Amino acid sequence: MTVLVTRPTPVLLSLTHASTYHAVMASRRVVGEPPQRREHLLDAASRRWVDGLRADGQPYHQTVGALHAMLLRVAFHELGRRRTMLGVVSGPELDDLAHQSADDALVNILARLDDFRGASRFATWAYKFAMFEVSGKVARHAWRRNPPSTEELSWERLPDSLAPKPGDAAERREQLDLLTSAIADDLTERQREVFLAIALNEVSIDVLACQLRSSRNAIYKNLFDARRKLRHCLAAAGHPLTPAEEVE
Amino acid sequence: MTDERPFDELLHAREGDVGCDAGRPILDTYVEIELSGGDPSRQFPGTSIHLTVCAGCRADHDGLLEAAQLFGE
Repeated sequence: MTVLVTRPTPVLLSLTHASTYHAVMASRRVVGEPPQRREHLLDAASRRWVDGLRADGQPYHQTVGALHAMLLRVAFHELGRRRTMLGVVSGPELDDLAHQSADDALVNILARLDDFRGASRFATWAYKFAMFEVSGKVARHAWRRNPPSTEELSWERLPDSLAPKPGDAAERREQLDLLTSAIADDLTERQREVFLAIALNEVSIDVLACQLRSSRNAIYKNLFDARRKLRHCLAAAGHPLTPAEEVE
Repeated sequence: MTDERPFDELLHAREGDVGCDAGRPILDTYVEIELSGGDPSRQFPGTSIHLTVCAGCRADHDGLLEAAQLFGE
Protein backbone atom coordinates (compact mmCIF):
# COMPACT_ATOMS: atom_id res chain seq x y z
CA MET A 1 0.00 0.00 0.00
CA THR A 2 1.01 3.62 -0.28
CA VAL A 3 0.91 6.05 2.61
CA LEU A 4 1.11 9.79 2.27
CA VAL A 5 3.36 11.31 4.89
CA THR A 6 2.41 14.96 5.15
CA ARG A 7 4.92 16.40 7.60
CA PRO A 8 6.85 18.57 7.06
CA THR A 9 6.37 18.26 3.30
CA PRO A 10 4.49 15.55 1.45
CA VAL A 11 6.50 12.52 0.46
CA LEU A 12 5.22 9.24 -0.89
CA LEU A 13 6.58 6.14 0.73
CA SER A 14 5.85 2.67 -0.51
CA LEU A 15 4.69 0.87 2.61
CA THR A 16 3.50 -2.66 2.89
CA HIS A 17 2.53 -2.93 6.53
CA ALA A 18 1.15 0.36 7.80
CA SER A 19 -0.99 -1.51 10.34
CA THR A 20 2.02 -1.60 12.64
CA TYR A 21 2.03 2.17 12.60
CA HIS A 22 -1.52 2.30 13.87
CA ALA A 23 -0.78 -0.30 16.53
CA VAL A 24 2.20 1.68 17.79
CA MET A 25 0.28 4.94 17.76
CA ALA A 26 -2.53 3.33 19.71
CA SER A 27 -0.28 2.05 22.48
CA ARG A 28 1.32 5.24 23.67
CA ARG A 29 0.07 5.18 27.26
CA VAL A 30 3.03 4.69 29.53
CA VAL A 31 3.17 3.82 33.19
CA GLY A 32 5.93 2.89 35.56
CA GLU A 33 9.01 4.86 34.64
CA PRO A 34 9.42 8.61 35.23
CA PRO A 35 8.39 10.79 32.28
CA GLN A 36 11.27 11.99 30.08
CA ARG A 37 10.05 15.43 29.17
CA ARG A 38 13.18 17.50 29.69
CA GLU A 39 14.75 19.05 26.59
CA HIS A 40 18.40 18.09 26.13
CA LEU A 41 21.12 19.80 24.17
CA LEU A 42 21.41 17.88 20.93
CA ASP A 43 24.77 16.55 19.74
CA ALA A 44 25.85 17.66 16.28
CA ALA A 45 24.79 14.51 14.46
CA SER A 46 21.37 14.47 16.11
CA ARG A 47 20.90 18.15 15.29
CA ARG A 48 21.65 17.42 11.61
CA TRP A 49 19.05 14.65 11.53
CA VAL A 50 16.36 16.73 13.20
CA ASP A 51 17.07 19.82 11.11
CA GLY A 52 17.01 17.73 7.94
CA LEU A 53 13.70 16.13 8.84
CA ARG A 54 12.21 19.55 9.56
CA ALA A 55 13.54 21.11 6.39
CA ASP A 56 11.70 21.57 3.12
CA GLY A 57 12.36 20.31 -0.36
CA GLN A 58 15.58 18.57 -1.32
CA PRO A 59 17.28 18.66 2.13
CA TYR A 60 14.23 16.97 3.62
CA HIS A 61 14.07 14.28 0.94
CA GLN A 62 17.79 13.60 1.22
CA THR A 63 17.53 13.22 4.99
CA VAL A 64 14.54 10.89 4.70
CA GLY A 65 16.43 8.80 2.16
CA ALA A 66 19.50 8.60 4.40
CA LEU A 67 17.36 7.69 7.41
CA HIS A 68 15.57 4.96 5.50
CA ALA A 69 18.89 3.50 4.35
CA MET A 70 20.11 3.50 7.95
CA LEU A 71 16.93 1.84 9.21
CA LEU A 72 17.22 -0.78 6.49
CA ARG A 73 20.77 -1.66 7.58
CA VAL A 74 19.61 -2.03 11.17
CA ALA A 75 16.60 -4.12 10.10
CA PHE A 76 18.74 -6.53 8.08
CA HIS A 77 21.20 -6.84 10.93
CA GLU A 78 18.46 -7.50 13.47
CA LEU A 79 16.78 -10.06 11.23
CA GLY A 80 20.09 -11.87 11.10
CA ARG A 81 20.36 -11.74 14.88
CA ARG A 82 16.90 -13.30 15.19
CA ARG A 83 17.35 -15.91 12.46
CA THR A 84 16.71 -18.83 14.84
CA MET A 85 13.15 -17.53 15.31
CA LEU A 86 12.74 -16.91 11.60
CA GLY A 87 13.64 -20.39 10.43
CA VAL A 88 14.52 -20.82 6.80
CA VAL A 89 13.97 -17.35 5.35
CA SER A 90 16.18 -15.83 2.72
CA GLY A 91 16.17 -13.97 -0.55
CA PRO A 92 13.06 -11.98 -1.44
CA GLU A 93 11.19 -12.92 1.73
CA LEU A 94 14.00 -11.66 3.97
CA ASP A 95 14.32 -8.52 1.85
CA ASP A 96 10.60 -7.96 2.18
CA LEU A 97 10.68 -8.26 5.97
CA ALA A 98 13.60 -5.84 6.19
CA HIS A 99 11.97 -3.30 3.90
CA GLN A 100 8.61 -3.52 5.68
CA SER A 101 10.37 -2.96 9.00
CA ALA A 102 12.34 0.02 7.73
CA ASP A 103 9.27 1.52 6.02
CA ASP A 104 7.08 1.25 9.11
CA ALA A 105 9.84 2.51 11.39
CA LEU A 106 10.30 5.54 9.15
CA VAL A 107 6.59 6.38 9.24
CA ASN A 108 6.62 6.18 13.04
CA ILE A 109 9.73 8.32 13.33
CA LEU A 110 8.31 11.05 11.12
CA ALA A 111 5.04 11.01 13.03
CA ARG A 112 6.81 11.24 16.38
CA LEU A 113 9.66 13.56 15.58
CA ASP A 114 8.36 16.11 18.08
CA ASP A 115 8.72 13.46 20.81
CA PHE A 116 12.48 13.33 20.31
CA ARG A 117 14.02 15.48 23.02
CA GLY A 118 17.64 14.46 22.79
CA ALA A 119 17.76 12.20 25.84
CA SER A 120 19.66 9.82 23.54
CA ARG A 121 21.35 10.28 20.19
CA PHE A 122 18.84 10.60 17.36
CA ALA A 123 20.20 7.47 15.68
CA THR A 124 19.67 5.33 18.79
CA TRP A 125 16.17 6.74 19.15
CA ALA A 126 15.48 5.91 15.49
CA TYR A 127 16.99 2.41 15.70
CA LYS A 128 14.55 1.69 18.49
CA PHE A 129 11.64 2.00 16.06
CA ALA A 130 13.32 -0.38 13.64
CA MET A 131 13.94 -2.80 16.50
CA PHE A 132 10.28 -2.85 17.51
CA GLU A 133 9.17 -3.34 13.92
CA VAL A 134 11.56 -6.25 13.37
CA SER A 135 10.55 -7.76 16.69
CA GLY A 136 6.86 -7.70 15.82
CA LYS A 137 7.32 -8.94 12.28
CA VAL A 138 9.60 -11.80 13.27
CA ALA A 139 7.08 -12.89 15.90
CA ARG A 140 4.23 -12.89 13.39
CA HIS A 141 6.34 -14.79 10.91
CA ALA A 142 7.32 -17.37 13.54
CA TRP A 143 3.72 -17.73 14.65
CA ARG A 144 2.47 -18.31 11.09
CA ARG A 145 5.24 -20.82 10.45
CA ASN A 146 5.00 -22.67 13.75
CA PRO A 147 2.04 -21.73 15.97
CA PRO A 148 1.89 -23.16 19.50
CA SER A 149 0.43 -26.65 19.60
CA THR A 150 -2.71 -27.56 21.52
CA GLU A 151 -0.57 -29.45 24.00
CA GLU A 152 1.51 -26.37 24.70
CA LEU A 153 -1.55 -24.33 25.58
CA SER A 154 -3.95 -26.72 27.30
CA TRP A 155 -4.02 -28.22 30.76
CA GLU A 156 -5.41 -31.58 29.84
CA ARG A 157 -2.52 -33.53 31.23
CA LEU A 158 0.35 -32.90 33.61
CA PRO A 159 3.39 -31.62 31.70
CA ASP A 160 6.33 -34.00 31.91
CA SER A 161 8.33 -31.23 33.52
CA LEU A 162 6.00 -31.26 36.53
CA ALA A 163 5.78 -35.03 36.93
CA PRO A 164 7.67 -36.30 40.00
CA LYS A 165 10.71 -38.46 39.21
CA PRO A 166 11.80 -41.56 41.10
CA GLY A 167 14.84 -39.80 42.54
CA ASP A 168 13.03 -36.69 43.75
CA ALA A 169 13.20 -35.86 47.43
CA ALA A 170 9.94 -35.92 49.37
CA GLU A 171 9.93 -32.13 49.69
CA ARG A 172 10.26 -31.62 45.95
CA ARG A 173 7.47 -34.11 45.32
CA GLU A 174 5.27 -32.20 47.74
CA GLN A 175 6.14 -28.90 46.07
CA LEU A 176 5.36 -30.35 42.65
CA ASP A 177 2.00 -31.61 43.89
CA LEU A 178 1.19 -28.23 45.41
CA LEU A 179 2.24 -26.39 42.28
CA THR A 180 0.21 -28.69 40.05
CA SER A 181 -2.89 -28.22 42.20
CA ALA A 182 -2.43 -24.45 42.32
CA ILE A 183 -2.05 -24.24 38.53
CA ALA A 184 -5.28 -26.19 38.10
CA ASP A 185 -7.32 -24.56 40.86
CA ASP A 186 -6.02 -21.08 41.63
CA LEU A 187 -5.12 -19.53 38.26
CA THR A 188 -7.64 -18.01 35.90
CA GLU A 189 -8.01 -19.75 32.57
CA ARG A 190 -5.91 -17.08 30.81
CA GLN A 191 -3.21 -17.13 33.52
CA ARG A 192 -3.01 -20.92 33.27
CA GLU A 193 -2.79 -20.83 29.49
CA VAL A 194 -0.02 -18.21 29.55
CA PHE A 195 1.94 -19.82 32.37
CA LEU A 196 1.74 -23.22 30.73
CA ALA A 197 2.88 -21.94 27.34
CA ILE A 198 5.69 -19.61 28.41
CA ALA A 199 7.00 -20.90 31.73
CA LEU A 200 6.56 -24.61 31.19
CA ASN A 201 6.65 -25.09 27.43
CA GLU A 202 8.96 -22.20 26.51
CA VAL A 203 6.70 -20.68 23.87
CA SER A 204 7.93 -17.20 22.88
CA ILE A 205 5.93 -14.43 24.57
CA ASP A 206 5.51 -12.64 21.24
CA VAL A 207 4.37 -15.78 19.42
CA LEU A 208 1.86 -16.40 22.19
CA ALA A 209 0.66 -12.79 21.91
CA CYS A 210 0.00 -13.42 18.21
CA GLN A 211 -1.81 -16.66 18.97
CA LEU A 212 -4.04 -15.06 21.61
CA ARG A 213 -4.50 -11.82 19.63
CA SER A 214 -3.07 -9.89 22.53
CA SER A 215 -0.02 -7.75 23.24
CA ARG A 216 3.31 -8.59 24.80
CA ASN A 217 2.54 -6.34 27.74
CA ALA A 218 -0.84 -7.94 28.42
CA ILE A 219 0.59 -11.45 28.18
CA TYR A 220 3.45 -10.49 30.48
CA LYS A 221 0.98 -9.16 33.03
CA ASN A 222 -0.88 -12.49 32.94
CA LEU A 223 2.39 -14.35 33.43
CA PHE A 224 3.52 -12.07 36.26
CA ASP A 225 0.20 -12.41 38.10
CA ALA A 226 0.21 -16.19 37.62
CA ARG A 227 3.71 -16.53 38.99
CA ARG A 228 2.96 -14.33 41.97
CA LYS A 229 -0.19 -16.27 42.76
CA LEU A 230 1.64 -19.61 42.57
CA ARG A 231 4.40 -18.31 44.85
CA HIS A 232 1.78 -17.29 47.39
CA CYS A 233 0.16 -20.72 47.19
CA LEU A 234 3.49 -22.43 47.86
CA ALA A 235 4.25 -20.05 50.73
CA ALA A 236 0.83 -20.54 52.28
CA ALA A 237 1.39 -24.30 52.22
CA GLY A 238 4.70 -23.97 54.04
CA HIS A 239 7.05 -23.89 51.04
CA PRO A 240 8.16 -20.26 50.67
CA LEU A 241 10.71 -19.68 47.91
CA THR A 242 12.43 -16.87 49.81
CA PRO A 243 12.63 -16.03 53.53
CA ALA A 244 10.57 -12.90 52.86
CA GLU A 245 7.67 -15.07 51.71
CA GLU A 246 7.46 -17.10 54.89
CA VAL A 247 3.95 -17.10 56.31
CA GLU A 248 3.62 -16.75 60.07
CA MET B 1 11.77 -26.39 31.24
CA THR B 2 14.23 -28.88 32.70
CA ASP B 3 13.27 -31.01 35.68
CA GLU B 4 16.06 -29.46 37.71
CA ARG B 5 15.02 -25.88 37.08
CA PRO B 6 14.54 -24.21 40.46
CA PHE B 7 11.05 -23.15 41.42
CA ASP B 8 12.35 -19.65 42.07
CA GLU B 9 13.27 -19.31 38.40
CA LEU B 10 10.08 -20.93 37.16
CA LEU B 11 8.03 -18.55 39.32
CA HIS B 12 10.22 -15.50 38.83
CA ALA B 13 8.12 -12.42 39.69
CA ARG B 14 10.01 -9.49 41.18
CA GLU B 15 8.36 -6.56 42.87
CA GLY B 16 9.01 -3.29 41.06
CA ASP B 17 8.79 -4.85 37.58
CA VAL B 18 7.09 -2.17 35.46
CA GLY B 19 6.19 -4.46 32.57
CA CYS B 20 6.84 -4.19 28.85
CA ASP B 21 5.15 -0.93 27.84
CA ALA B 22 6.94 1.29 30.36
CA GLY B 23 10.33 0.45 28.92
CA ARG B 24 9.56 1.15 25.28
CA PRO B 25 9.77 4.96 25.34
CA ILE B 26 12.99 5.01 27.36
CA LEU B 27 14.83 2.05 25.85
CA ASP B 28 17.11 4.28 23.75
CA THR B 29 18.06 6.35 26.79
CA TYR B 30 18.58 3.18 28.80
CA VAL B 31 20.95 1.80 26.16
CA GLU B 32 22.92 5.02 25.89
CA ILE B 33 23.49 5.11 29.63
CA GLU B 34 24.95 1.62 29.30
CA LEU B 35 27.12 2.64 26.35
CA SER B 36 28.53 5.54 28.33
CA GLY B 37 29.47 3.19 31.16
CA GLY B 38 26.66 4.27 33.48
CA ASP B 39 24.14 2.22 35.41
CA PRO B 40 20.65 2.56 33.89
CA SER B 41 19.06 0.78 36.85
CA ARG B 42 19.58 3.94 38.92
CA GLN B 43 17.37 5.97 36.60
CA PHE B 44 15.08 3.19 35.41
CA PRO B 45 14.91 0.57 38.17
CA GLY B 46 11.60 -0.91 37.04
CA THR B 47 12.80 -1.52 33.49
CA SER B 48 16.07 -2.91 34.77
CA ILE B 49 14.15 -5.51 36.78
CA HIS B 50 11.85 -6.20 33.86
CA LEU B 51 14.71 -6.89 31.46
CA THR B 52 16.00 -9.67 33.70
CA VAL B 53 12.70 -11.52 33.36
CA CYS B 54 11.05 -10.71 30.00
CA ALA B 55 12.75 -12.47 27.10
CA GLY B 56 10.91 -10.38 24.50
CA CYS B 57 12.00 -7.03 25.90
CA ARG B 58 15.48 -8.36 26.56
CA ALA B 59 15.81 -9.29 22.89
CA ASP B 60 14.76 -5.77 21.88
CA HIS B 61 17.21 -4.27 24.34
CA ASP B 62 20.08 -6.48 23.21
CA GLY B 63 19.35 -5.71 19.57
CA LEU B 64 19.24 -1.98 20.18
CA LEU B 65 22.44 -2.04 22.21
CA GLU B 66 24.20 -3.95 19.43
CA ALA B 67 22.85 -1.67 16.70
CA ALA B 68 23.92 1.46 18.59
CA GLN B 69 27.39 0.00 19.04
CA LEU B 70 27.73 -1.19 15.44
CA PHE B 71 26.09 1.57 13.46
CA GLY B 72 26.65 4.57 15.74
CA GLU B 73 26.00 8.08 14.36
